[in-house]
Amino acid sequence: MEDWRKNKFAFGIFIGPATFWLVLFFMLPLAVVWVYSFGGRGPQGQTIITFSLANYQRALEWIHLGIIWKSAWIAGIATLLCLLMGFPLAKGIAFAPAKWKNPLLLIVILPFWTNLLIRTYSWIAVLRTRGHLNFALEWLHDKTDMAMTFLGLPELMGTFHPLALLYNQSAVIIGLVYVHLPFMVLPLYASMEKLDRSYLEASLDLGAGHWRTLFNVTVPLVKPGILSGVLLTYILSIGSFLTPDLLGGTESMMIGNLIAQQFGSSRDWAFGSALSFLLMYATFIILWIKTVNAKDGEATGI
Amino acid sequence: MSDNFFKFMTRRRFLGASAGVAALQFIPYEAWSAEEKQLNVYNWDTYIGETTLPNFTKQTGIKVQYDLFGDNEEMFAKLKAGNPGYDIIVPTDYMVEDMLTLDMLETLDHSKLPNMSHLDKAFLNPAYDPGLKHSLPYMWGTMGYGYRKSKVKGTPDSWSHILENKDPSLSKRMSLLSDQRAVLGGALKYLGYSMNSHSATEIGKARDLVISAKKDILTFAEDNGQDLLVSGEVDLCLEWSGDIAAVMADDSDLNYVVPKEGSNVWVDNLCIPKGAPHPGNAHTFINFLHDVEVHMEIANTIYFATPNASAKAKMSADYTENPAVFAPADVLSRCEAILSVGDDARLYDEAWTAVQAA
Amino acid sequence: MKAMKDAPLKKKRYGKLVNPLDYTRKGWMQTLLGINFFFLYFPIVALVAFSFNDSKRNIVWKGFTFKYYIKAYNNEALHSSFMNSITVASISTVVSTLLGTMLGLALYRYRFPFKPAYEGFAHLPIMIPEICMGIAMLVFFSLINMPLSLFTITVSHIAFTIPFVAVVIRARMSGFDTSYEEVSYDLGASQWQTFWNVTFPYLRPGVVAGALLAFTLSIDDFVITFFTAGIGSTTLPIKIYSMLRFSVTPEVNAASTVLIVLTLTLTILAMTIQARANKR
Repeated sequence: MEDWRKNKFAFGIFIGPATFWLVLFFMLPLAVVWVYSFGGRGPQGQTIITFSLANYQRALEWIHLGIIWKSAWIAGIATLLCLLMGFPLAKGIAFAPAKWKNPLLLIVILPFWTNLLIRTYSWIAVLRTRGHLNFALEWLHDKTDMAMTFLGLPELMGTFHPLALLYNQSAVIIGLVYVHLPFMVLPLYASMEKLDRSYLEASLDLGAGHWRTLFNVTVPLVKPGILSGVLLTYILSIGSFLTPDLLGGTESMMIGNLIAQQFGSSRDWAFGSALSFLLMYATFIILWIKTVNAKDGEATGI
Repeated sequence: MSDNFFKFMTRRRFLGASAGVAALQFIPYEAWSAEEKQLNVYNWDTYIGETTLPNFTKQTGIKVQYDLFGDNEEMFAKLKAGNPGYDIIVPTDYMVEDMLTLDMLETLDHSKLPNMSHLDKAFLNPAYDPGLKHSLPYMWGTMGYGYRKSKVKGTPDSWSHILENKDPSLSKRMSLLSDQRAVLGGALKYLGYSMNSHSATEIGKARDLVISAKKDILTFAEDNGQDLLVSGEVDLCLEWSGDIAAVMADDSDLNYVVPKEGSNVWVDNLCIPKGAPHPGNAHTFINFLHDVEVHMEIANTIYFATPNASAKAKMSADYTENPAVFAPADVLSRCEAILSVGDDARLYDEAWTAVQAA
Repeated sequence: MKAMKDAPLKKKRYGKLVNPLDYTRKGWMQTLLGINFFFLYFPIVALVAFSFNDSKRNIVWKGFTFKYYIKAYNNEALHSSFMNSITVASISTVVSTLLGTMLGLALYRYRFPFKPAYEGFAHLPIMIPEICMGIAMLVFFSLINMPLSLFTITVSHIAFTIPFVAVVIRARMSGFDTSYEEVSYDLGASQWQTFWNVTFPYLRPGVVAGALLAFTLSIDDFVITFFTAGIGSTTLPIKIYSMLRFSVTPEVNAASTVLIVLTLTLTILAMTIQARANKR
């Protein structure tokens, strides 16, 4: 790392445009909403600027904390599954022959160029009682049943009861994993692709198995990518509201839904803003803990 | 909104805008004929006839830019910060009331709307906008159950069917709407209270009733209850009348009923938001939509109930006798419009959050 | 020419013998990839298949038809919203990839006062709930009297995609061996030459990944787009949202299938052209 004073001009060129853009088209708008978060709701759903902490107090009521806690663990499970799926995926692409890398990357990304809502509705079509998956299972069941009868073992299989796959928390988790997988795969791929393979070769040459090499060499080397992927996935999952809305049942309200409800039907923008900022503060704290824990003193980005 | 804040922040802009509004009010209507041939409509999706817009353009030469919103709150959010340029919006009754309080709607010039004479008298003096000074009813409907006749025993004509389910075969085979005022309103009706209760005790009772009913409910549907019903995911769903009417046309096993304790009756209205760039064209358009032939085509396409008596008289029995379009008069008499509850909206919001978190 | 043809052959043979790192060629890795791809594509394949279903509802197969394609083809609102989406996504991807890459490099390379605070600020658009940002943008644009249009959508998309690109770039750069750059300087190359010929080639996969991410985010964004869209600037997600709200018909499936085929064709075309250019 260089000190910025050594080359102020280059530093300015690198950091200037993005900073300008983010200050003008993000920080200023955000400031307005930040002011709102200290306001209140008028009788017709206006936002009244009052400068009170009432919204934050309300956000910390038990019921809201419970929703935040539930969102935190649902997003946690989804992130873990994303990592378990995304890691081999990224590795497979990164270690593929050069000419296959881009096509494989494209195959992974392509589903995500289909609209989020359409993808979510496709999952509904797959998971529902009369969905593709249950139809496939029923078909399998019937065939096995036929074979059993043929073998002289009737009545063993019983009748087929469609599985309740939709409108529960596992459906929400499946949806979240599906929606957020690229946010895990892309950073992982970016850091795995640059992996110096001689380290891996050395580890294997020295007699370590593939698993040992994976955990003792590969994972530490791609740690920045893993951290980026995990944090991106987690942060995006915890705030999502369309997936729990469409795939979740009666008890799948996440913090994102609560926030959306405030900006939507409840028309309480002030409380919605306060909840949003609370969520952001929490994220900040996680990031801060991470930076403090990073031993080499070099922050790794999100 | 935050108007205090805005006035404070950009006083000059505010003064300019109010000067503009004032100026507009002094322009005689004749001057509107000089308007460019353009009209910006902000409506719900699939809420117009298939040939309505092309015919309007053919007849008047006015080009229509047609944008869509999904619910009242989305539309309100978009206009709350200042009208981005819409000439026509289609808010529901309670939203008309709130927008009027916030001075967001233009006054209608009834002399430019001769087709108002086709309106059913029952719609001429609604509580949310007495004398229809700022709004003209477009379509109306009710909230009720869509259900599958072969799966539900008898007629599910009471809120008890969903709130106090006794039939184990319907457990997890029913859906409610993901709409706080609609669901809590239904429970309030069942308990014998008003849908627009301001009492924390009453709303609390309704909340507890819905929470206890949750064990039998599959999901709070995002206005797609009719899809769940058709796909066989549920056998009974709470939905808006026209959505069920649309699927009943394809599937004779489906039916619609409004709970006998009463439910919600609503009216969507054609309004001109303040700051509309083409108010003259907007009047022409509103009048056009209530032309008998034009209106019949719309009603035949979207299957919601019409407030246009002349059009209704010429419609076929499929439409006029359809229980999913026109609810029986005695049930209708027990139905209520959802009204704005002012600061007590907080009670509903908290009750709804509790329902979902329970 | 002949030598070039022989080279990869040799490498392959060598690889088969000693290089155990060709994970992608291993059976278990291929199985894992297969499972992953199945998960990714199962809903998409079902979606495509049912676009040919001769029934208004996407439930049971009732026979083959093209009619929903014809219907989607004749739906002009769908066309214009598609063009709007492509315009917004292309412009915002180019700008945010450029700005995000520079930001990522600056964060990787320089030490400067209040850096942790700056980093927190730069990553805020990732952390903020979408709907809160949407409302913030809407209120802000009306405060500064900027009419809502495709321009305001694009501006907002750029703002929220920059940090995503920066994150990917940063992950790519960490661990970059700066001695390459030093060697380049020692050999008399200028800063610009060093960046272009040494740093950038190393960076390129990160830029590609970042750009893909930005494009994906932009073309699919509904919430922020909804609040920043003005008259006539309906994008595809907004259009689809309102179509789905009414009912899920195969027309939506047909439109998405066309989109998938179209993006696939365009990308393969672009990749082939690039591959040819690289060969030369």
